[in-house]
Amino acid sequence: MPSHGGRAPADPHDDEILGKAYDARLARRLWEVARPYRRVLVASAVLFFPIAALELLQPYLIKIAIDAHILPGDWPGLSGVAAVFLLTLAGLYALRMLQSYLMNLTGQRVLHDLRLRLFAHTQTLDAAFFDRNPVGRLMTRILNDVEAVSDMFGSGVVAILGDVVTLAGVVVVMLAMNWRLALVTFALVPALFTAAAYFRRQSRIAYRGLRSRLARLNAFLQESLQGMTVIQLSAREPQERLRFEALSADFRRAQFRSTTYDASLYAVVEAIGSAAVALLLWYGGGQIWQGVLSFGGLVAFIEYTNRFFLPIRDLGAKYAVMQAAMASSERIFGLLDLEPTIRSGRARGRADGRCPIVDVTNVWFAYTGEEWVLSDCSFEVRRGECVALVGVTGAGKSTVTRLLNRSYDVTRGRVLVEGTDVREWELDALRRRVGLVPQDVFLFSGSVEANLRLAADGAVTKDALARAATLANARGFIESLPAGFDHPIRERGANLSQGQRQLLAIARALVYNPAVLVLDEATSSVDPESEALIQEAMGRLLTGRTSLVIAHRLSTVQRADRILVLHKGRVREEGTHAQLLRRGGIYSHLYELQCGR
Amino acid sequence: MSPPRLLLAHLRPYGLRYALGFLFLALGSLCSLAIPWTVKLAIEALQRGSSTPELRKYILLILGLAAAHGLVRLGSRFSILGGGQAVEQDVRNRLYRHLQALPQAFYHAHRTGDLMSRASNDLAAVRHLVGFGALSLLGTAIAFVGTLAAMLALDPRLTLYAMAPFPILILVARRFNATVHQESQAVQEQLGELSAKVQENLAGMAVVRAYAMEASEIRQFQGLNGEYLGRSLRLARTQAAFSPLMGLVAGIGTLIVLWQGGRAVVETRITLGAFVAFNAYLAHLAWPTIALGWTLSIVRRGLAALGRIAEILAAEPSIRDASDALDRPPDFRAATIEFRNLTFAHEGRGPALRNVTLAIPPGLTLAIVGPTGSGKSTLGALIPRLFDPPAGSLLIGGTDVRRLRLEHLRRAVGYVPQEPFLFSRTVRENLALADDDALAPRLEQTARAVGLDAEIRAFPEGWDTVVGERGITLSGGQRQRAALARALLPDSPILILDDAFANVDAAKEVEILEALGDVLRERTTLLITHRFKAARAADWIVVLDEGRIVEQGSHDTLIAQGGLYRRLWRIQQLEEEISRA
Repeated sequence: MPSHGGRAPADPHDDEILGKAYDARLARRLWEVARPYRRVLVASAVLFFPIAALELLQPYLIKIAIDAHILPGDWPGLSGVAAVFLLTLAGLYALRMLQSYLMNLTGQRVLHDLRLRLFAHTQTLDAAFFDRNPVGRLMTRILNDVEAVSDMFGSGVVAILGDVVTLAGVVVVMLAMNWRLALVTFALVPALFTAAAYFRRQSRIAYRGLRSRLARLNAFLQESLQGMTVIQLSAREPQERLRFEALSADFRRAQFRSTTYDASLYAVVEAIGSAAVALLLWYGGGQIWQGVLSFGGLVAFIEYTNRFFLPIRDLGAKYAVMQAAMASSERIFGLLDLEPTIRSGRARGRADGRCPIVDVTNVWFAYTGEEWVLSDCSFEVRRGECVALVGVTGAGKSTVTRLLNRSYDVTRGRVLVEGTDVREWELDALRRRVGLVPQDVFLFSGSVEANLRLAADGAVTKDALARAATLANARGFIESLPAGFDHPIRERGANLSQGQRQLLAIARALVYNPAVLVLDEATSSVDPESEALIQEAMGRLLTGRTSLVIAHRLSTVQRADRILVLHKGRVREEGTHAQLLRRGGIYSHLYELQCGR
Repeated sequence: MSPPRLLLAHLRPYGLRYALGFLFLALGSLCSLAIPWTVKLAIEALQRGSSTPELRKYILLILGLAAAHGLVRLGSRFSILGGGQAVEQDVRNRLYRHLQALPQAFYHAHRTGDLMSRASNDLAAVRHLVGFGALSLLGTAIAFVGTLAAMLALDPRLTLYAMAPFPILILVARRFNATVHQESQAVQEQLGELSAKVQENLAGMAVVRAYAMEASEIRQFQGLNGEYLGRSLRLARTQAAFSPLMGLVAGIGTLIVLWQGGRAVVETRITLGAFVAFNAYLAHLAWPTIALGWTLSIVRRGLAALGRIAEILAAEPSIRDASDALDRPPDFRAATIEFRNLTFAHEGRGPALRNVTLAIPPGLTLAIVGPTGSGKSTLGALIPRLFDPPAGSLLIGGTDVRRLRLEHLRRAVGYVPQEPFLFSRTVRENLALADDDALAPRLEQTARAVGLDAEIRAFPEGWDTVVGERGITLSGGQRQRAALARALLPDSPILILDDAFANVDAAKEVEILEALGDVLRERTTLLITHRFKAARAADWIVVLDEGRIVEQGSHDTLIAQGGLYRRLWRIQQLEEEISRA
């Protein structure tokens, strides 16, 4: 029966290039994945034998019924056979139920394990990887590709085995019953096989053509939708419509071709099935004449022939499942094989009160090639100091912060935290020490409380959360939410105002309480009332805390112990607000600019 | 138009096809019913011990029927599935035509992904409805009528017995479909949760990293993943219990025929041949009955999908030619563009422009400046009617733009948007978008005017290089100059540059504008820009703030006035000083 619930359409550019249905290297790795469930797998395979046996018994029972009871006129005996038939039905039902469940069990468990492995693996990959790989593609791996693999365990490999068992059983029984008649049936096998293989192959080629045309059609449509304004402004609708209609017609033709082969396959198989019946009647009729064959035998043979042809016809469908699984597992293992370039060191930091907490020395950094974002950048942050980082867009401010928590590694130079190179730090420990807080807060769907806690699952008490919220001036609005701290935040915090989100970010930083706070102030402006709340909370957050703040607010730079002016990838000016203003350099321009807006 | 009426309207042209398909299905059913009947006759002949020629006659008949059945079956697929594909094509083309007529506001309100899903997934569901769905429904109906008639002809009492399990089968199938539907819905919902989690996690990876949340994220995923497994296994259990049940109920039918049919043979009410034929007929009925639920779900899903498509078709193409539109365009080259006390708001928002009154004489280069969100782009977008201005508030050559034919108007206006959009086609096709017939020298001349010709010649395949994912990627500046060349090519008398040089530096912008000097002098040009250096060269400058014209004049007078213009000018100077530092 067809499955319910469609699968997401494949990426139009991710053309389905189907290759081999079996690849020894991939198969070995897949076996490793399925290994924990080998018992279930073996059990479901073993079940095929009794199932095939019972299925083969049924036509034989009909033969007995006809020959031994119906034709001789033995009604009570017939009831006996009917009772046995009923038993086979019950047995088959039980066995099939068990087997179907076991097959699904393996498939679903494999799906579960692979998904978890993929997800856990993405968590270890570095920022540069995410810059290169769009979220959509990774989601396809984790959500769709694994399904193709689980289909293979659920209905591919095992079902092929089942078909082979059934086929072998039918052949043996037919040969044993009447080898001449059996050979008559088998005479049609080459024809069936050739026809099935031919139409399957044509159908596959046609299907591939269909997919590529659909991809083309959808790509064109997508581009049209995105560029509709351009089309309309160029008064080009008629030409574009012609192009679209040509693609649309092309798709329809490809579809019809595909339908032709599919329909022909079934028509031919059915015709050959009927031809087999005719042949059996012809040859079997002669045998009945000679007394070699009974009527029951003839009827049973017709039944066996039906059961013989079906698996041959369906073999192709299972082949396609295997192909899809191999293509998907290739992509899955490709992702799993990627090694993160940023690996954890072992140092957990040491308490050395003398050296600066953060020490950036002669750092050069480029995201790609030689496009330097930081060139020979040096500065330090001492214990207990609040340092403001200012500069125009693109000066490299955010990049500096990303190097501090090792989202990226420096190209040249070094970054020390508490006297230890960040590359030697244990990653988790480093990130617990250096807390990077963007004020354009990224909220996860979940309760307010969960968003404040983030990683600190059990370690923070409710009281501590409430205290942090109070200090951050966030308590008022949180408690005005219908469910307070348990209030669900919608995706990306769509149900909160800009000001509320910034207050939450401050509360989050207070809860996380890192040794060095690296804060990226929000650029978006808020209403004056919220602004006052935020400034007050910022004061509480920064007082007495070692911090590096990418500052956009005047109040923040005035509060800072020291201001660093980052320009074109290096620190160009340094001092307090008053000192820098007197100097009349870049900072004073920036200041005037800020006031002018 | 309601979904069923929409469906009927699109089915009507193929009425004959579907009628033919119905005929083929009926003939096919007749053939496939005749085969067991012939087998019956053959067996009876064998039992009588009659002659070989008679047997041969039956066998030839079976072969003939089999061949005929195959052909007719093909015919039914071709006519009905092919009809479904034709309907799909018609609906798809209609949808595309309609989408072309919808205004920009529609595209702001609908995400591309959503529209794509309707135009691909939903359309496929409609094809299934009018293809497989129709085939299956018609086929099932014909199979039931035909098979029942044949069985009744053989033996009414046995028919009654044999059909006894069918109501159960139908009930079981319905129950099964309902349960499976419900449980697979639950699985899909959990998959939705899972994919939302993955999406959020991957999108927020920087935060996850910063707060060292990896372990807790994996734990959360594990929880969702475990729940997904649980729900999937519940579905698997249902399927395991129900699917073989279908086989069981159908098998019970066979059992009844074996038992009661055998008795009928014993009692010589029917022949052995009839007994065999009966079994074959029963097998005919089992599959359509089992598949009935599936067929109905195709119909249900197809109708729902059709509803979503009808929604798009119901969206009004609000910007279109008026009934009293002018047949002949005015002389745009000599036309003044006139805003008369224009106030305009995008749907659901406050006014973007307020009481704008402005006359732009032909041939003038007018610069429009102002802070972000002051309504500059909206002002430019009203001229080619990307949005419709209120009646009587925007006139070109004395005619309300709403009375101009869209084609005339848009051919007269060259518009270069902020975000240039290039198609995945060749450079030539991209540039010649508004003028397919432009000859090579003219193309090259235009490319030279925007300083792009040398770069195009350096592309791997020159003018025939494909742009985009499957070809080369152009830089932001190249894309903007390409868009500019595209707008210049058809020689439109009105040119609107909507911050068209945001991706090149200020010096380059001035350089391009200077190089375009002659080209701009021939046209009425609206230069919307945030760069004052560029604005300075214009004949006249208009300063917008919060949708109102607050100042206008030449650069020097505006500087002397010391208002908003002067303030913004100073900010830009500071920025330049900083960047030079």
